[in-house]
Amino acid sequence: MLSERSANNGTARKISHTLQSLILPISFLVLWELIAVWAANPALIPRFTTVLGVLLNPLQELVGTGSLLHNTLVSLFRVVLGFAVSVVVCVPLGIFMGTSKTLHRLVNPLVELFRPLCPIAWIPFAMAVFKTTTVPQLFGVRFTETILDSVQIGMVFIIFWGGLFPILLNTIHGVAGVRGLLLETARVLGADKQKTFWKVVIPAALPDIMTGLRIGLGIAWMVIIAAEMLPGSDSGIGYLIMYAYELAEMQILVAGMIVIGIMGLGLNHGLQLISNRVSNWKALER
Amino acid sequence: MRKLTLNGINKVFLTHPDREVFALDNIDLSINEGEFIALIGPTGCGKTTLLRIIAGLENASSGEILLDGQPVADLNRISTLIFQQYSLFPWYNVIENITFPMEMKGLRKAERRRRAEELIQLVGLQGTEKAAPYELSGGMQQRVAIARALAHDPEVLLMDEPFGALDERTRHRLQTVLLEIWKRKGKTILFVTHNIDEALFLADRIIVMGTEPGRVVEDWHISLKRPRNRLADDFTQLHLKIRNVLEIT
Ligand SMILES: Nc1ncnc2c1ncn2[C@@H]1O[C@H](COP(=O)(O)OP(=O)(O)OP(=O)(O)O)[C@@H](O)[C@H]1O
Ligand SMILES: [Mg+2]
Repeated sequence: MLSERSANNGTARKISHTLQSLILPISFLVLWELIAVWAANPALIPRFTTVLGVLLNPLQELVGTGSLLHNTLVSLFRVVLGFAVSVVVCVPLGIFMGTSKTLHRLVNPLVELFRPLCPIAWIPFAMAVFKTTTVPQLFGVRFTETILDSVQIGMVFIIFWGGLFPILLNTIHGVAGVRGLLLETARVLGADKQKTFWKVVIPAALPDIMTGLRIGLGIAWMVIIAAEMLPGSDSGIGYLIMYAYELAEMQILVAGMIVIGIMGLGLNHGLQLISNRVSNWKALER
Repeated sequence: MRKLTLNGINKVFLTHPDREVFALDNIDLSINEGEFIALIGPTGCGKTTLLRIIAGLENASSGEILLDGQPVADLNRISTLIFQQYSLFPWYNVIENITFPMEMKGLRKAERRRRAEELIQLVGLQGTEKAAPYELSGGMQQRVAIARALAHDPEVLLMDEPFGALDERTRHRLQTVLLEIWKRKGKTILFVTHNIDEALFLADRIIVMGTEPGRVVEDWHISLKRPRNRLADDFTQLHLKIRNVLEIT
């Protein structure tokens, strides 16, 4: 323990820490490979190396559903669009609800009414209402020959619902929770209402807003996978793993699961980086 | 010359269910330009309330405040308050905190920076420009708060136990810094403290308040020569005198 303290072996320590954190994942992969070889039943347990083969050829056409990359991008596009709608609607609404007690009284009962409803429960409803209308069709364009043709309004709608409550509630919490002392400080230093809003309320609420975005994006990613697994879906990473299941192509199914996990991790990490960039004071504050 | 005049300031708080707290009872006070006043009194006697009313954060239940003999429309414009609690904006660094009031006034960026640098020198915080509030000790935070208040450039500086949470050494150092600033800038200062020694070291005038209801009990001019020596006989005698008065109020 003492040797860990000395200054000049910092690099060695870093390497040793990295190795420590790799022990279990590597053991897991080795164990997986061994069991798969021993079971010798690829329809039940595919070998890790086979799955890796699928992952390393993301452009390969898979069982007539498009490539791994294509399906991943379709899912990502749906999520980004639906999430963007959530952000554009919920952040301003949350700011207004956090500042105006009247608006809060007005809107909050509706929020409380819909909140317990799991976003996945909206999927059948969305499919019934929006059918398979795509976003370009909404604007009167039938086919754009781009990935947008795979982005259905129903999908965007349920992702919107997935992001709605975490973003809205965290924004309200952040805006309403600005310390009175700081608002009064702004006032005695000559800030008017508008400047107080931009220079005090928004920076103070930003960490909470970013937390809302992070949770919302995580839920959106889960919801899209669920939506794509339901009948009537024709593309996306959720659709791919469901279709692979039907064809008993376990290596594709597992590769798809790994992509879902990695994408979820990446989205969360990306937003975390942005969050640290724009507002890291709360995490560092004593 | 008379700067601020308080005429018959009353403040009643209605606490639930319907109890009335007489926080301030008929306060008359005239404060001269450039005067350093210490406000001292037992806890709950209304010192913070009085400062908040002068700062325009709270309305008096009755009474008026005059500036140079005229009623004041916007008290925020003539004074600023340094709070009892640490109140730096945690998302801004030292220099951004200090430039905040100048930004509110619409000063140009270069001008803001130039003045902020001056103020940083004045409170002795060179080298911490880029530091975040959480990286500073309590004493440093209060110095930034003082620099920020000076950046607002108010005619009256209201300070609510600004050094209350600091150790004796830091407290003494900041008292010297504050006196230096006061001499150089000629501000009118209203300074709340629980500390008799601090009041005697700083003020031209010590106002003792009493509680239930909050009122002015004594109003002394302190003619001790500056710089003051805490160990001199006249200093310690006054100290005892004030302590006796505080003990019976
Ligand atoms: N917002 C409020 N609502 C109700 N009562 C209040 C409010 N603010 C202050 N009071 C009451 O007014 C009286 C004076 O309070 P104030 O904070 O001005 O005292 P103080 O002299 O600053 O005390 P301390 O030395 O402890 O800071 C107290 O009895 C307090 O309970
Ligand atoms: Mg007080």
